[in-house]
Amino acid sequence: MNLPMLLSLILLLPLGSAVVIALFLRKRGNLAALLSIMVGFTVMALSLYVILTSYNPARTVYPAGSPESSLPSAAMQNWLGMAGPVWAEASHHWLQFGDYVFAMGFHFNNLSALMLLVVSFVACWIQLFSAGYMADDEGKARFFGGLSIFMFSMLGIVLADNLVMLFVFWELVGFSSYMLIAHYYTTDFANMASKKAFIVNRIGDLGFLLGIVWCWDHYGTVRLSELENIIGYHPGLVAGGAATGIGLLLMCGFVGKSAQFPLQVWLTDAMAGPTPVSALIHAATMVAAGIYFLARVFFLLPPFTLHWIMWSGAAMTACAGLWALGQTDIKKTLAYSTLSHLGYMATAVGLGYPQLAMFHLAMHACFKATLFLGSGSVIHACHHEQDIYKMGGLRKKMPITAATFLLASLANCAVPFFSGAYSKDSIISAAYLKGHDEGLIYYGVYALVLFGALCTALYTCRLFAVVFLGKARSEEAEHAHESGASITIPLIVLGLLSLAAGWTVYDWKWAGGLMTGLIPSGCAQVFLGGFSALEHTLEEKGLGHGLEIINVIVVLAGLAASYAFYGRSAAAGDPLAAKSPGAFRVLERHGWFDDVYDWYVAQIQQHFCDVLAALDKLAIQFGGGQVCAGGLSGLAGALLRRATVGSIHAYVYWFLAGVCCYWFFAVR
Amino acid sequence: MTSDSLILPQAIGVPFVAGLVLLVKGREMAPWLARAVAWVGFLVPALTALCAWWIFSMHPAGTPIFEQSMTAATPTQLLWRTPEMLFPFERDIGLGFLGLTLKLGLNGLSLPMFVLAGIVGLAAGIYAMNTSVDRPQAYWGLLLFIVSGAMGVFASLNLFYFYFFHEFALIPTFILIGWWGGPGGRAAAMEMTIYLTLGAMLSLLGLLALFFKSGAHSFDLVSMHAWTLPATATVPSGHKIFGLLLFGFGILVSLWPFHSWAPTGYAAAPTPAAMLHAGVLKKFGLYGLLQIAVPLLPGEMAGWSHLLAWLALGNVVVIGLVTLAQRDLKVMLGYSSVMHMGYIFLGIVCVSAMGAGGAVLLMFAHGLSVAALFLLSDAVFQRTRTYDFGAMGGLCKKAPVLSAFFVAATFAGIGLPGFANFWGEFGVFVALWKFSPWMTAAAALGVVISAIYGLRAVSRIFYGEPSPAFQTLFDQPVADLRPGERWPAIILLGALLLVGFWPGLLSRGINESLPTAYQDLRPSGHYVLTLNFISETTAAPTPAAPPAAPKP
Repeated sequence: MNLPMLLSLILLLPLGSAVVIALFLRKRGNLAALLSIMVGFTVMALSLYVILTSYNPARTVYPAGSPESSLPSAAMQNWLGMAGPVWAEASHHWLQFGDYVFAMGFHFNNLSALMLLVVSFVACWIQLFSAGYMADDEGKARFFGGLSIFMFSMLGIVLADNLVMLFVFWELVGFSSYMLIAHYYTTDFANMASKKAFIVNRIGDLGFLLGIVWCWDHYGTVRLSELENIIGYHPGLVAGGAATGIGLLLMCGFVGKSAQFPLQVWLTDAMAGPTPVSALIHAATMVAAGIYFLARVFFLLPPFTLHWIMWSGAAMTACAGLWALGQTDIKKTLAYSTLSHLGYMATAVGLGYPQLAMFHLAMHACFKATLFLGSGSVIHACHHEQDIYKMGGLRKKMPITAATFLLASLANCAVPFFSGAYSKDSIISAAYLKGHDEGLIYYGVYALVLFGALCTALYTCRLFAVVFLGKARSEEAEHAHESGASITIPLIVLGLLSLAAGWTVYDWKWAGGLMTGLIPSGCAQVFLGGFSALEHTLEEKGLGHGLEIINVIVVLAGLAASYAFYGRSAAAGDPLAAKSPGAFRVLERHGWFDDVYDWYVAQIQQHFCDVLAALDKLAIQFGGGQVCAGGLSGLAGALLRRATVGSIHAYVYWFLAGVCCYWFFAVR
Repeated sequence: MTSDSLILPQAIGVPFVAGLVLLVKGREMAPWLARAVAWVGFLVPALTALCAWWIFSMHPAGTPIFEQSMTAATPTQLLWRTPEMLFPFERDIGLGFLGLTLKLGLNGLSLPMFVLAGIVGLAAGIYAMNTSVDRPQAYWGLLLFIVSGAMGVFASLNLFYFYFFHEFALIPTFILIGWWGGPGGRAAAMEMTIYLTLGAMLSLLGLLALFFKSGAHSFDLVSMHAWTLPATATVPSGHKIFGLLLFGFGILVSLWPFHSWAPTGYAAAPTPAAMLHAGVLKKFGLYGLLQIAVPLLPGEMAGWSHLLAWLALGNVVVIGLVTLAQRDLKVMLGYSSVMHMGYIFLGIVCVSAMGAGGAVLLMFAHGLSVAALFLLSDAVFQRTRTYDFGAMGGLCKKAPVLSAFFVAATFAGIGLPGFANFWGEFGVFVALWKFSPWMTAAAALGVVISAIYGLRAVSRIFYGEPSPAFQTLFDQPVADLRPGERWPAIILLGALLLVGFWPGLLSRGINESLPTAYQDLRPSGHYVLTLNFISETTAAPTPAAPPAAPKP
């Protein structure tokens, strides 16, 4: 089979599984789970096969012998260094009106290979985990059907060859997210959260949609390969009003999906869904799709847009890290952690290093999935208790969960040699470099992301200490025991990866090249170039070691302080809440965004709509009674009303009269 | 007169005869016989329409309907397929001297509407036959009249019959609402009658003016177009005629602010009548604009387009916000259907292939989705005995299939990709950007608004725990969807999904048949592509030239 066919198979298998589940397996939850998991692993195997066999390092990005004058711009060459050559390209006309063609197809390069690997790999283990986690659930078939639809939509985003197709699948992941958040639909929380997630995403998609339409109008195409060509040879185009507008509007899609300012409010509520859903969709893959999208169309983003992304990302890094300290729900803490890490990735994109963003995306997918699955294992063991202050002392009762959670926590804080350290530290260094090179104000970004790193250490250590150390704080925690194999195996696999995945950047001699094999080279190419270029620059400027040491000090200081504050507290609740309730409340309300939006919806939008509706009703009474719709129609209406006086018969006579009139004119 | 095909007369005639039989003899017939007659009446048009669709997509060698009309038919042509249309039928029924020859035929623009009428007619029919009403035979008979008229509207190539069939379908609608309607049925029917009559009158005036001014001495659409085509924009007082048609048709389609008949009318209408009117008949005006007004008066849209676009934005934004305030399911659906008409108007305003194509797709998709929503909301009412959101909740637990269908229909209405509505809306936005980017931005607000009210409805009806008042109702067993409700919904949603996944099923025919008035605007790419620097192989390619410089 050729590559496009394999890719079609990868894309369509989950759709097939979803259709089969919806049509035939609605009442057979176990079969549905089996089918979905099998499809998940098949997709993973196929993706690995594609990536290992189809990557051709000799493939050039642009004609090797082409003259200097016909090379793409330097910025584009830089981007191409990340995205790599196109492995396969296919496009089918789907709908055509006039000269506008909507197409469906694949644009498969190194970038999509990396994303494909992350999505399919994480997804299959999370599906296996779900088999254990959702074992007793009534809506098991619905759940696995939803996961299959999600896989289909997510893979569509990864493979899409044009912006319209991307948008199609973008909306579909929104739908699957909605469906899965609403899994426990009888609870008010899930009911509200699912609605909120979809609507907030729709607000982002509104901008995205307009951005695509404008892009089509301005550049004349929405195909990624054609856009690459146009921008590659006319770099000057990405400047000026239209290009900035397009960039900002396209960015809206990212802001909604990746839950950045000011649309971040949906992500924490989305934790109302089952924990595997939070792990897969709201941590590892879907929310990161925004970052992937930015990397994919990076060349379309003008400097102003990048600035916005950088500042808002850096602010999110710090704020979400702080807010995480105000949460007592284990999943919400992790959700804020996800927000903070998405902020890191956004900062990297804004700094002009989409490579590092993709690197962090891949690492984050491993360790955040582990953290969420670990929390799922804990929640499962504690009979759906999510309050961390009702857990405690689970280290001994759930050793595998505790060990993998620890690995992932350390990766989360970027402790040296753990996967998160490589990607996160390089982003922090890049931020410093920006300040170093371009002006004092950019040190602000550095300060924000460094503060974010401190917060990460604080909340991560707090979480681990409260949940796993100390003594059990409730009956449920007292009787908790380790979960079954279908839960622990994914934990071990992903936990080990959160330790080791980052080693791929070093070609350690003593490891005999083993380390570089951790991530297939076709995928690793995405970030290896950018990573080593940054290292090189830092080295040249003599900054490398200094920055590294600062990072380590910040993380260790954070961990120590957090352990001292939270780990040794014997209080029943949060020690911060006990010592300074005001500060805790500020963190807990996470900037009052929700309150402001709720107030707008309830006090402004609702009243405005009510007034409009009342006016409309008035118009109905008036219009119905008087038939006074203005101008000609008013006159005709008045005549007509006299003629129809409330009976169908009169109307028929009118009609006959009209025919007679016509007759008269016609035979005249 | 040469190549006659009886297929279209059959699609119009069979439901008419079946309806007549049921109305006249229905009460004396055995129940099973009456039911069989009704089945035949509903099935024949639907199957005919599907056949037509299939044949049309199997034989794409069509050309735009008007351009070829003056050439003689070649002997090799198949009986049922001339270059410009499918299933031509022409008969002088004694009024030929007035230009009133009955002329039927389908092209790529009317085919989707014809199919829509067939499908919605069948779904409404099945649903009607599975609900208990008093005097069911008369009820079915009137519905069959509506189906017959609707099939006729979209098959007519003669303006007179186009109008006639619409009236023919409209009158049974009024009777159905007045007689079988819910509380306030009579008043609603009266208001609807007044409004729609007014709209129909205006459009009739416009059509007559068109007839006299065009000088074609015929109501035949094809020959009228042949008359106006060579002398583009020289139809005397074309501007005024277009205005008459615009507002006449506009009132029929609930153009803001002439929309107020729709929510009350649909709230009071018996469900199959609401399905047929909101789904099919309401598209009469839009179809008239697309197939008649714009092609026959090319260039006249320019004079009205800004006014129309603003009014259509009123539909989308103002009525969208009004919809948000509704607390009654059926009224909300009525308003939302008014709101979505705005998109279709905006597609027509652009006068481009993209806009017209999007409008036709959206008409088709909206017809199906709104019919499905009316049907399912009635199914909700059968179980909860209320349309009030405040009194509902938690129905999903009792009726999972109903709620799954309702969610699907809601998402179709919201414009989720995978349902046909998405392609229509997206097409309209793409086309509208050429007309006015700001209006596109304003219209796109509707995307969020419809998501809010749609999901709010779903969450209030199906999610959460049932309210205390509801709990007593739920203590009795609540059945999930019965087959009589399930199959119509499956038909409607299936068609939506089919076109949603393969929009090319409709778009090819539309492209072939778009009259020249919709001469297209290209995507205004300022840049020409000549080179692809991402080479597939390692072989050194020929030295490439840089692409042409951007246009200034």
